[in-house]
Amino acid sequence: MKGHFVLNRAHLSYWLRQLRKDADLIGPLRSTDGDIIFSSIENIHDIELDCPASIPSPKEFIFPQKEEMFRFSDKGVSSKSNGERRVIFGVRSCDISAIALLDRFYGELYEDSFYMDRRRNTVFISIACNTPDPTCFCIGLGTGPFLKSGFDIQLTDLGNRYLVQAGSGEGLKIIRRFRHLFQKPEKTDFDDQYEAMLSSQSGFEKRITLETVRQKIITAKVEDSFWESVALRCFQCGGCVYECPLCTCFNVVDWKEDKDKGVRMRLWDTCMFKGFTKMAGNVLPAEKQIMRTKRWYFHKLLYYPEQFGKFGCVGCGRCTITCPGRIDMAAVANKLD
Amino acid sequence: MKNKNRQNRKGLYLPAKVEILDVVDMTSDVKLFKLERPKSFYYSPGQFLMVSVWGAGEVPISITSTHEIRKDIELCIRKVGAVTSALHSLTAGDYLGIRGPLGNRFPFEEAFGKDILFVAGGIGIAPLRSLINLVSEQKEKFGKIALIYGSRNPSEVLFLDEILRWRDEGIDVYLTVDVKTDPWKYSTGLVTEHLSKQRISFKTCHSYICGPHVMIKAVMRDLSLMGMPAENIITTLEAHMKCGVGKCGHCYTDGKYVCTDGPVFNYTEIKQFGMSNP
Ligand SMILES: Cc1cc2nc3c(=O)[nH]c(=O)nc-3n(C[C@H](O)[C@H](O)[C@H](O)COP(=O)(O)OP(=O)(O)OC[C@H]3O[C@@H](n4cnc5c(N)ncnc54)[C@H](O)[C@@H]3O)c2cc1C
Ligand code: SF4
Ligand code: SF4
Ligand code: FES
Repeated sequence: MKGHFVLNRAHLSYWLRQLRKDADLIGPLRSTDGDIIFSSIENIHDIELDCPASIPSPKEFIFPQKEEMFRFSDKGVSSKSNGERRVIFGVRSCDISAIALLDRFYGELYEDSFYMDRRRNTVFISIACNTPDPTCFCIGLGTGPFLKSGFDIQLTDLGNRYLVQAGSGEGLKIIRRFRHLFQKPEKTDFDDQYEAMLSSQSGFEKRITLETVRQKIITAKVEDSFWESVALRCFQCGGCVYECPLCTCFNVVDWKEDKDKGVRMRLWDTCMFKGFTKMAGNVLPAEKQIMRTKRWYFHKLLYYPEQFGKFGCVGCGRCTITCPGRIDMAAVANKLD
Repeated sequence: MKNKNRQNRKGLYLPAKVEILDVVDMTSDVKLFKLERPKSFYYSPGQFLMVSVWGAGEVPISITSTHEIRKDIELCIRKVGAVTSALHSLTAGDYLGIRGPLGNRFPFEEAFGKDILFVAGGIGIAPLRSLINLVSEQKEKFGKIALIYGSRNPSEVLFLDEILRWRDEGIDVYLTVDVKTDPWKYSTGLVTEHLSKQRISFKTCHSYICGPHVMIKAVMRDLSLMGMPAENIITTLEAHMKCGVGKCGHCYTDGKYVCTDGPVFNYTEIKQFGMSNP
């Protein structure tokens, strides 16, 4: 099949080392306190291949938590481009599905040049999930554990080898450049991939489709008392928003370095904070927590589907891991299902 | 009222540097800024700019001038906080940054041949002024035109000379204040108390409203009860904005971005979303 290859397990680190020669190689590492984080790879063998979801999601490499928009001085403004080439390895299927949606969000109508510059210079190598975490529910949303499209390169771990699928021109390019490392796949390779997929699908503890929840909200079957009970448990920590691969909001601040020069920055922001919508005259459109809780869920469950035909959730389970109040997407969906 | 404006591909967030040509004091806390208009900068009534003062920040401000009439850009700005105070400290010859024009515009072609009612409260006159001046240039295309403008007290009335000129040119003008202080020869009371006095045909009239949130809400409801079709009742909304281009999420309410889906909405759209909260 076109765009399908096999890579011997022993050749993976060689390939990555070659890719690192003209791009920053980023992948999942275990931090000193045990969390999985995406970071530049110094030593290929540090890459964690069997690990739970990273916290935060890899969205920070295309939409950084804090970024310089431009510098200003009395002479005017200047902005540097984000031209550095990057290969991000070991990304999960759900995160790739999230990035495909972020591409539309930041790219449509008005194009966000900061995001798109980074995006155009980034190639993702994702790994289909053979063993889902207990918190994962991508299977009910079609955003994982194996993807049919939307990736640059998808690897499936078949033990001694990987089935390699190219899903974009950029992906194909970085395979073709090292053609000698890849073989043509046999029928058994596809059979083994199919088996891996079935075994993964049977491993999900959570089976949630958000469609029932959406229907219930649209038909006004969910009363405010339900959202009140969710809001009551919110600590307003913003964790769910920061960790979610599909939360996109930001704040903009000016930083003065000198009398007449400085920098304008943008920083992740969260609609869970009261001041997020504050207006002149100290009007607070979302003063009560219930309004902000509803805003977050309605955005993901009603308005994302209206705007993009997809939920604003890919079932990565990070809000489940993060929320100290245990009122994450999966918990809410379970209660309403 | 979808915004079809697909501009600004590169440098979406980079402001253009423009010179302040003149600053006029209007009231104790409102100033009128006249800015140089960059080449190939076209705007329509209802649109706004993101205005930057380096180091202080960026805020959304409606354009109060009318493209067809003036060569500069006028902004009418009330001092309420950090950025607007920084703006107020600038004078002619200083520079500021602008991005835009952003947002959709007031639809007014639909009002050809029909009566028009403008209802403004406080600084809400600023975005309406852009449309009123455009409409008054082509009065023959419309039926009766009326303006009700409410202010807190006589010293806060904005653009009084211009409003009196509109009146002389044939627009029915009703000025009203909440509190009568100085010698004041016009009305008192809320704008809603003057709606029924208008000699216009409510069933076909088009209305454009801007002012404080509570005023907009009350006027829209009353006009609707008086038989004005919801699609003809048009307002421009305010929201906290950080980007103006549908990305930062601050202005987002019930599935709409005030910055790109609006800021101009009609009553049908407003009943479907927004305004439910505050
Ligand atoms: C589409 C649009 C058009 C507007 N047109 C005008 C105009 O023509 N003239 C005018 O004087 N004002 C206008 N405003 C309001 C103006 O943007 C705010 O008064 C201004 O942002 C306050 O900024 P600040 O830094 O001076 O105040 P701050 O020091 O930030 O705070 C003062 C108050 O303003 C609120 N505020 C802060 N940032 C924003 C923001 N980005 N948007 C809304 N409220 C905010 C704060 O929460 C606080 O209550 C408009 C707003 C919008 C959305
Ligand atoms: S809502 Fe929760 S589960 Fe869904 S994508 Fe965001 S963090 Fe993941
Ligand atoms: S993670 Fe939980 S507690 Fe924290 S803001 Fe989100 S919902 Fe509230
Ligand atoms: S102002 Fe940023 S999304 Fe509307």
